[in-house]
Amino acid sequence: MAEEVRQIPYTFTVNGIERSVEENKPLLRYLRDDLRLYSVKDGCSEGACGTCTIVVDGYAVKACVLTTERAAGKSIITVEGLSLREKEAFVYAFGTAGSVQCGFCIPGMVMAGKALIDRNPDPTEKEIKRAIRGNVCRCTGYKKIISGIRRAAAILRGEEEVRQISQFTGKMLPEQNEFISVVGSNYDPERASGIANYENRGSSAQYGMGQNVFRIDVRKKVLGYGKYPDDIGPEYFVPADRPDLIMEQTGWTQEEYDNALAEGRLEPGTTICRKDEPLCNMCTIVDPEMPPMAYCSAVRSDYPRAVVKKIHKEKAESLPGVLGVLTAEDVPHNKVGHIQQDWDVMIAEGDTTRMAGDAICLVVAESPYILEAAKKAVKVEYEPLEPVRNIAEAKAEGAPLIHESGNLCQQRHVVRGDAAKALAESAFTVTESFSTPFTEHAFLEPECAVSFPYGDGVKILSTDQGAYDTRHETLIMFGWEDTPERVVVENQLIGGGFGGKEDVTTQHLSALAAVKYKRPVKMKFSRSESLRVHPKRHAMEGTFTLGCDENGILTGLDCEINFDTGAYASLCGPVLERACTHSVGPYNYHNTDIRGFGYYTNNPPAGAFRGFGVCQSQFALESLLNVLARKVGISPWEIRYRNAIEPGLELPNGQIADVSTALKETLVAVKPYFDDAPEDRVGIACAMKNAGVGVGLPDKGRARLEVKNGLVWIFTAASDIGQGCQTVFIQDVSQATDLPITKIWIGISNTENAPNSGTTSGSRQTLVTGEAVRGAALMLKKAMDEEGVTEETLDKLNGRKFEYEYFEPTDKLGSDKPHPKSHIAYGYATNVAVLDADGRVTDIYAAFDAGKVVNPLSMSGQIEGGVLMSMGYALTESWPLRDCVPTARYGTLGLLRSTDIPDIHAIHVEKDELLDASYGAKGVGEITSIPAAPAIAGAYYAKDGVLRTKLPIGNSFYSKKKK
Amino acid sequence: MAKRIRKISYVRCRGGSPLLDGIDRSSLPRDCGAILQLFPDGISKCRYGCLGGGSCEAACHFAAIRIEDGPPVIDTGKCVGCGLCKRACPQDLIEIILPDSNIQPKCSSRDTGKAAREACSNSCISCGICEKVCPAGAIHIRDGKPVIDPAECICCGMCAVRCPRGVIRDLNGVMTAD
Repeated sequence: MAEEVRQIPYTFTVNGIERSVEENKPLLRYLRDDLRLYSVKDGCSEGACGTCTIVVDGYAVKACVLTTERAAGKSIITVEGLSLREKEAFVYAFGTAGSVQCGFCIPGMVMAGKALIDRNPDPTEKEIKRAIRGNVCRCTGYKKIISGIRRAAAILRGEEEVRQISQFTGKMLPEQNEFISVVGSNYDPERASGIANYENRGSSAQYGMGQNVFRIDVRKKVLGYGKYPDDIGPEYFVPADRPDLIMEQTGWTQEEYDNALAEGRLEPGTTICRKDEPLCNMCTIVDPEMPPMAYCSAVRSDYPRAVVKKIHKEKAESLPGVLGVLTAEDVPHNKVGHIQQDWDVMIAEGDTTRMAGDAICLVVAESPYILEAAKKAVKVEYEPLEPVRNIAEAKAEGAPLIHESGNLCQQRHVVRGDAAKALAESAFTVTESFSTPFTEHAFLEPECAVSFPYGDGVKILSTDQGAYDTRHETLIMFGWEDTPERVVVENQLIGGGFGGKEDVTTQHLSALAAVKYKRPVKMKFSRSESLRVHPKRHAMEGTFTLGCDENGILTGLDCEINFDTGAYASLCGPVLERACTHSVGPYNYHNTDIRGFGYYTNNPPAGAFRGFGVCQSQFALESLLNVLARKVGISPWEIRYRNAIEPGLELPNGQIADVSTALKETLVAVKPYFDDAPEDRVGIACAMKNAGVGVGLPDKGRARLEVKNGLVWIFTAASDIGQGCQTVFIQDVSQATDLPITKIWIGISNTENAPNSGTTSGSRQTLVTGEAVRGAALMLKKAMDEEGVTEETLDKLNGRKFEYEYFEPTDKLGSDKPHPKSHIAYGYATNVAVLDADGRVTDIYAAFDAGKVVNPLSMSGQIEGGVLMSMGYALTESWPLRDCVPTARYGTLGLLRSTDIPDIHAIHVEKDELLDASYGAKGVGEITSIPAAPAIAGAYYAKDGVLRTKLPIGNSFYSKKKK
Repeated sequence: MAKRIRKISYVRCRGGSPLLDGIDRSSLPRDCGAILQLFPDGISKCRYGCLGGGSCEAACHFAAIRIEDGPPVIDTGKCVGCGLCKRACPQDLIEIILPDSNIQPKCSSRDTGKAAREACSNSCISCGICEKVCPAGAIHIRDGKPVIDPAECICCGMCAVRCPRGVIRDLNGVMTAD
């Protein structure tokens, strides 16, 4: 041990510069807080996720594990310190391989890749998988990251070029534009000449529909200079009377500064960008009197159900550097909620908690360190009560009421035809009960928001799935619904969502503190807080009866679906509804009786999660189909094909399947793989999933195009949570106008200047917002044609705006129309899973009908990521609770790692007949995570004849491995 | 053709346990089995550690393992992971590992707590901190010593950094000296 004592100060080099530090702390904190090297992401601070991976003395290391003391004498490299050649190699390789989605894991992946390539310039796929096994990616399924690292290695070996190739045009900057000169903040165009010209001009032929497109956010995510809310430090707020700081942040000359001042562009509240990076939102000008950024965090209940007797906050408030401790009394309206406002902002004294993790009070302090000490100084007296642990306890007579309205949060009843009669007359029926668990989204970026006083209200810099949703909930909390402009919400980069960032978590609380203390306030969840607070996928207990005739033709379905929605409703209503309406599957039969119930319990809340209720009910239905196929004596493929919906037939909800319906095509696409696999090691499952919110709700897409400085700007408040919708919108405009992408820019999702285009939910952005963007782009195209404007003379349209709203009405659930239209579109899919003799999943053939494939590279990335998520749901992921208290940590959730992945074969099924909105694109985000789980369960059923009715499935290769 | 991944030997003892009274190392046979026959309870306060007799060194065909003062040192450049040294060690201190499984416990003592602390300055005392801080649930105290499940370990090094006894080491020399 003696050799490990180092002398203060600890001295080491970071990106070639010698640094000394007196304090012993995690290197992650030093790199981010002191050196502001924001490429080093803080995903968990417990060694589990890999987002903070850096290179130390040639080895990939997690910066949250290493300390400044242990770093003494070592040489540290972060993404910022890569050579220009390495940076360009990784940007190009990751962009062309489609490795980047939400981007939060990416700098860590780059550094793990760099360490490997430095030691082993030509790594095999297997070696790359091992090298990144400590780096979790929740978006991509790893496949494209592995190929990105391989390509980067080939470039660095000199075997592949960074070059301009027509199908991979990148987002680049117009060379001739006055306020833009180079790409990226760390970019030296002279030294890079000849390297970076791949990010060059491209016309719609290269960037329109159906092209493999280099996504627009690759560079800033790979090089780590793109801002997520946590990358906003105190330096983001620049006092208006500090020209030196303003020039430092923007790179302006004195003259440029003077011009900006004269033009009134430096008023407090204005956000400005580096001159070489017009979308970077580098800093915000604030009043010189504004105090620096503070930090807040909630003290949370350890008890799922307990009376809060007394909150002792005096000691915490007396600590130096503590601004105050806010309680329910300080909240104008103490209830928020995405749809139902049933979620207490904080639990007041005398009230009863509903979950472990309920906020009791909000501590606000000058620094994160003081904040932690102050939180510990708050003492809360509780009177613990017996919690309601599950659906059975919630239903029990005399059960404690979690909300005054009762424990039944939501119910739905979907009936068509006569299920009882149809089942009674069926040749074969099967009845089984199924149980599926809560699932954690495990997005790599924990929740974080920064709020600051703005106008007569507050501005929130947020990571969420809908800026207007966040605004709505925050307005309710402040009681400002009549003056919505008082709350402005601006999305930063969003490090994954999957449904878990639809509800407010940090945004409203940081806004509350910012308004109270009249200064910027940051609120960031620790990983364990994130795991405890945001809503999960609903746990389901359901009983399903499915019948068919002697030929395997389905006759009827009777089912009861019970959801545990935990302490709060979140999106229980719509999720339950989708579970019910989709429980029938994409098949042609018309006798259904579906009863759905969502119960409050004292578990953490459940809400939206990719698949939106359908993962649960499709697992049950598809499993029963396999049982019926056996009874009839036909193959699992055959029973699906015989019943598959086709255009013109009635879906089980009565809606007529439209021309784009391609379920049978997906079945045909996977048939060779199903037939080739050994009969006892292959499983198959189909799925359908709505695109768009539908069911009679005003689900509108809105977009505005503006021509400024000879460039087209797209404004639409539609969150790009990593799925790539911003790139899709640029493709829409390019396709409609034939403009090269040098001319098309997209603004950030911001409630102040972008129209509300709804939530990133229900696989709707590509279709609903995409159609709005297309509509606006066609208006622009018309103006260009009428006025003879070409891409060179776009300046002539400067100042012109083109706004378009897309709304296609749908019918509400239970409509008495003979053929109600529940949703504007449905996507379809068939997956085939193949096992080896040990039960390991070796291949998944994943065919998806998403209508027009906008960007094949992005689509296969969605498929690979969604399928792997579904495989985790089937086999390894769990979210255990002990008396309502979550016990898992990020590293023990059972997330699949790079070394666990099967070969996922993404198959895009694109028909000639397409819908007439959004160039025929239907969206693919959610459906990708539905069919793989039942396909894998089906493969196990084929293997040993044991029907799995629980997830994750038992008695598998993976469950044995865990023991 | 998939490349075969080379493995290496790893010795789960750092030395540090004083010799028992009356034992003169220079008079001991150069064979660990013979030493054990003479002293069935070992020669040091820790009965589980390296005997220093050099049986592993003698068994190695590649001159990859060497004993000077204390437990053997592996030359990872020469070691091919054949396992001959492992077979030669009567104390079962040598394990064959993948070189990129770089976080490894370096103690085999079955003693716990005070007994372990008194027996050796480099011993695992079974305090369980490693188990608690491991984000992957990959390390557990078994028979008084830390055991890492290589299938679960992601080599983050949290256990190595937090181990109060310096028992868990980083072969790469970053989280700890190697």
